[in-house]
Amino acid sequence: MSMLPYAVAAWLFGIGLYGIATSRNFIHLVGCLGVCQSATYVLLLGLGYRWGSIAPIFYDHPPGTPAVDPVMQALVLTDIVVGATLTALLLVLTIQAYKRGGSLDPEKLRPMRAGGKSGRDPGPSRVSDAERSVS
Amino acid sequence: MTAFPAALLPLPVAIPLVVCAAMLATAHLLPGRLPDILATLTALSVAILCAVIAARAADSPLVYWFGGWEPRDGVHLGIGFSVDEASGWIAAFIGLLYALTFLFAWGFFDRTHGHFHILMLLFLAAMVGFCFTRDMFNLFVWFEVMSVAAFALTAYHLEESALAGAINFTVINSLAGFLMLGGIGLIYAQTGTLDFEGIAAAVARGGRDPVVAGAFCLAATALMIKGAIVPFQFWLADAHSVAPSPVSVIFSGSMVSLGLFGLAKVSAVVFAGSDQVQRTLPVLLIGMGSFTALLGGWMALLQRHLKRMLAFSTISHAGIMLTGIGALSAGGTGGMLIYVVGHGLVKGALFMIAGILLATRASIDEIALRGLGRGLGPAGIAMALAGLLLCGLPIGVLDQGTRLVQGALTQQGHGFAVAAGAIGAALTGAAVLRASGRIFLGLGPDPGDEAGAPSQDEREKANRPLWLMLAPCCVLLALDAGLPASLIEHGIPRAASAFMHRPAVGAFAEGPAWLPWASVAAALVGAGYGLFRKRLPAAVVRPVSVTQSAPTRALELLHSGLIGDYAAWLAVGVAAIAAVLTLV
Repeated sequence: MSMLPYAVAAWLFGIGLYGIATSRNFIHLVGCLGVCQSATYVLLLGLGYRWGSIAPIFYDHPPGTPAVDPVMQALVLTDIVVGATLTALLLVLTIQAYKRGGSLDPEKLRPMRAGGKSGRDPGPSRVSDAERSVS
Repeated sequence: MTAFPAALLPLPVAIPLVVCAAMLATAHLLPGRLPDILATLTALSVAILCAVIAARAADSPLVYWFGGWEPRDGVHLGIGFSVDEASGWIAAFIGLLYALTFLFAWGFFDRTHGHFHILMLLFLAAMVGFCFTRDMFNLFVWFEVMSVAAFALTAYHLEESALAGAINFTVINSLAGFLMLGGIGLIYAQTGTLDFEGIAAAVARGGRDPVVAGAFCLAATALMIKGAIVPFQFWLADAHSVAPSPVSVIFSGSMVSLGLFGLAKVSAVVFAGSDQVQRTLPVLLIGMGSFTALLGGWMALLQRHLKRMLAFSTISHAGIMLTGIGALSAGGTGGMLIYVVGHGLVKGALFMIAGILLATRASIDEIALRGLGRGLGPAGIAMALAGLLLCGLPIGVLDQGTRLVQGALTQQGHGFAVAAGAIGAALTGAAVLRASGRIFLGLGPDPGDEAGAPSQDEREKANRPLWLMLAPCCVLLALDAGLPASLIEHGIPRAASAFMHRPAVGAFAEGPAWLPWASVAAALVGAGYGLFRKRLPAAVVRPVSVTQSAPTRALELLHSGLIGDYAAWLAVGVAAIAAVLTLV
């Protein structure tokens, strides 16, 4: 068994995560999530692969011919469905967020903001809010 | 042909799915309140069916193989449901929570065409399937169905903050799904099966194996992300505080704890044979759980947005549940299962009260609500009672779970985890009691004109009768306080042993009797300090505010609401878990 598919899968997941961590645009972020997901495709297909065997369709092969693992392929198919659902849902949310906030930048769109302010530096007012709530 | 009780197993999943498909097809035709009625009845019937199944599963677990694909000669090809007593009762509890939530949400949405109910029923079916399944990949499928329904429900209001919270929630939980799928692929490659029992047997044969450890690392991380364990907890506070109140009830009451339920099942059943995993679990789970309990409690105390406060309290309690799993004994896991139910009842009631305040007083900000709750006496009493139960008032289901978890941890000498759990519970109780004192009694200093709560103004529909919203909340609290203790005490040793696939044991150890009272006292002191700080002498106040301000500032900065930061913390968490697995 070659290590290459695993290395590729790990690299894809890592680079996708890096993309999500540094993204300043939601569409780009959804793409990075897709890259992360490709890591699972590569991993699963790599795990199920057998050298020198056919696709698991026995229509024109005698039963018993070595074939790659069909379970893994079923898992990948399900994974693709999940991926399509997630991408669609995230893009819908992104469009709605853009309609309301007028921005695709995650840093301008936060669930909790002090007094409705936006931007990079809500630090001081957020903290004073917190301290006030302790009092 | 499957015998009678086992043939019931697919029904609690199939019924909500069929009803929600039928409702979706006829959505535009359904008159007025029919979706409410249908959804409530469906959830109730799921609860009753699950209770029947659980009662039947008391002697031995019920097993159902879809399409009759039973394992032959040790080869598992089919997908099965396997229900032990504990899983059945957890599913019954979830059904009941949904039924009460549907009552609470009666008329909550004006022109929904039942879409809210459809998503909720899908969510319910996924949760029951998650409890029942005995197949790794099937577990993943329910995990994803649960996630997708939850994502859509979070963003239901389509407001700016709701959308931001939903996006954070979606991205982090999708990553959890990918990690889980990777873990499942690895374990399948190593063992050649996806069935829990089949994997367990193969893992036990295999000895020390880095692939099995890697698979566990990925699957456990995914379930801990769902269970909001530090450092994966960030999404929860965002999602819970912006979701509609009825949805928050379900999130906190069952979804989060279900992640940990899955972790308990996977680590006790699937990876029971791996020495490496079993040696790592106590260190990992008790360490992360204690830290989560403390951090969640502290963050809860810092919040003025009521739902966000409750969200952090859920994080804290999830940490306590995790320490229960980490004890790796039937007592700890049994305590955790009881805790899941008790916590769900109390936290569900609290989110309902937050929803009542949001609907009738049009605010969710503790400071702005000061004294405004005076006309809502029963809600105030319910909130104070829930706060006391949360910090450990020794009555009811939650307390029983707490004592079992503490007992199991004490027995194994994890004094630190016991202390962390008690302090975490006390902190969350203090936060809730402070809020109820301020809102319903008008205690604490007058804020004057202060900035609004740190989120955009929220509104929920106000024209629902108060009693309709209050009744399910009171039922939840009454259930928590009133379920006969002897019944649980009698049943839990058997149920927990069956859940962990271990030989039955006698009674479980309980924690020290004074500890709950200490928690309650600490919570009252904390709430009192929060409310009357201005009247205390400076010698008391100054040291506290000096020592807490720097770490508080750091914590607030950490919870930035930025998805990038959350993803980075996720990577850190995965690396930490992998490191612990390699080193121990």
